Amino acid sequence: MLVRDVMKGPVLTVGPEVTLEDAYGLLLEKGIRHLPVVAEGRLVGIITDRDIRLATSHLNPKGPCPGCTRVEEVMTREVVTAHPLDPVEEAARVMRERKIGCLPVLEDGALVGIVTGIDLLDALLRLTGVTEPSGRLEVRLPDRVGELARLTGFLAGRGVNIHSLLSYPEEGEFVRAVVRVNTLETHPLAEALRREGFDVLWPPKKPW
Amino acid sequence: MVIYREEYRLYNFGPDHPFSPVRLEMLTSLLQALGVWRAPLSPPEASREEVLWVHSERLVRRVEAASRGELSPDLEHYGLGTGDTPVFPGMDRAARVLVGGTLEGARRILAGERRVLQLGGGLHHAQYDRASGFCVYNDLSVAIRHMTRAGLRVAYVDIDVHHGDGVQWIHYEEGEVLTLSLHESGRYLFPGTGHVYEIGRGAGLGKKLNLPLEPFTEDESYLEVFQALVPWALKAFRPDVLVVQAGADAHYLDPLADLLLTTRAYERLFRLLLEYAEAYAGGRVLFTLGGGYSLDAAVRVWALLYHVFHGLPLPERLPEGWLSTWEARLGKPLTPTLHDPEGAYPEIPRREEIAKRNRLTLQRLTELVAPHLLH
Ligand SMILES: [Zn+2]
Repeated sequence: MLVRDVMKGPVLTVGPEVTLEDAYGLLLEKGIRHLPVVAEGRLVGIITDRDIRLATSHLNPKGPCPGCTRVEEVMTREVVTAHPLDPVEEAARVMRERKIGCLPVLEDGALVGIVTGIDLLDALLRLTGVTEPSGRLEVRLPDRVGELARLTGFLAGRGVNIHSLLSYPEEGEFVRAVVRVNTLETHPLAEALRREGFDVLWPPKKPW
Repeated sequence: MVIYREEYRLYNFGPDHPFSPVRLEMLTSLLQALGVWRAPLSPPEASREEVLWVHSERLVRRVEAASRGELSPDLEHYGLGTGDTPVFPGMDRAARVLVGGTLEGARRILAGERRVLQLGGGLHHAQYDRASGFCVYNDLSVAIRHMTRAGLRVAYVDIDVHHGDGVQWIHYEEGEVLTLSLHESGRYLFPGTGHVYEIGRGAGLGKKLNLPLEPFTEDESYLEVFQALVPWALKAFRPDVLVVQAGADAHYLDPLADLLLTTRAYERLFRLLLEYAEAYAGGRVLFTLGGGYSLDAAVRVWALLYHVFHGLPLPERLPEGWLSTWEARLGKPLTPTLHDPEGAYPEIPRREEIAKRNRLTLQRLTELVAPHLLH
């Protein structure tokens, strides 16, 4: 999944000379929180609802920004951006590390989209794929070549379709695979997997 | 009034499939051996037109073609020809026979009958445009649609261990249908849905209730949340009739799921449901069967339902002749008493934590739906 698959566009932007009041009105009206600032076709900054509230609030420890009335006086100038072909997890990582809520997406210097934390949550939902009727299997695999193939091959051999498959490294040379499959019969499937030597964590083996 | 016909057993995905017609054969023969079986009402099969009240034309066309042995390449897209819901000759008619039974139950209720027990059906996973999870056509929704068209408000209560997703989605935007499903959480179990926040849309908002329960929930915790939720919701909704999907797969012996109900909880549930029907739905209630994949457990649970439904005294032991016949046929021992033995499974160490989490889920659900349901 790439940034271009989850980003939103066209992007609403403002010019640097727009008043804070107008910019805030726009954010409220459109129900968004971020406005890239564009001058002469180039991205020159970004402004958020929080920037505007801080700049204008008497609760700001430094007091309201004296004489700040226009976007360019408050906006962040060093904008962190993404490329449409970046993987979504990379975008998520940059946003998490820099503690920012969105990334404007640039292609050849032109603003082509924006990706926000909400878009990344949507991406996560799609990646975990619980939209189709499905049962859940959780299997601990040795962290070595061919183990996942052995698991999916076994499922394929039983005519079981996989709706989604997530895997992540576990401590001690293992990988945890969480699989959503198109069957009610996950218990019999788990039993069959155990007979093949798989370490099935869910569904559990019943002691009766 | 009991509805049943031999042809229910035509709904057969093959000898190794868990949704086995042997369950009905065992059940009816047990009731006969116990001497409580009265000739049931034999329903007509549902027509194609009646099935189309809740299903798409294109799904029905695929089922009909598959019934004749014609396999269209897009079958899997419609949930057919999968490991769970394979196709078999005559599938369309077999499914319509089951739909016909539940629909006949709805007709009888409209004609003034108060209590109906349909000994079959309960195919709650079938959706508008897709067969799913052993369910080809949704008999419950066809019956519910028939009653709402006649102006009735219908409360659907689903105690099958799986989420009643098909019924929920078909009526998701209907204000005159309350759906209420208690099930093992979709986090762990098919079909993956049935979260507390699925509460309906449009006119149906706040009228679709889901109580996803923790795996290994036992009798006491189940009954606690059931008794807190169901009468509360029924009182607020004021239905004209209850439709109950009485799946038996929340039993601890069930091979497909992880709830740990015993027959004692089921007996209590059936008595409570009859009481609730009296208190909140003018005494009108239509029961269907549903899931239940341990032959031993499902047959005893539904025999209990039959006895409680008729107000019959419960037998303690099952008839020896019946036991020996079926033990020989199945090649394994059966529980010789109607109720489960005491202490039949090992103690669950997380019992208190599970009960606490179920209470919390109940609280979240009631907080979510209360603003819409109570008015
Ligand atoms: Zn079920």
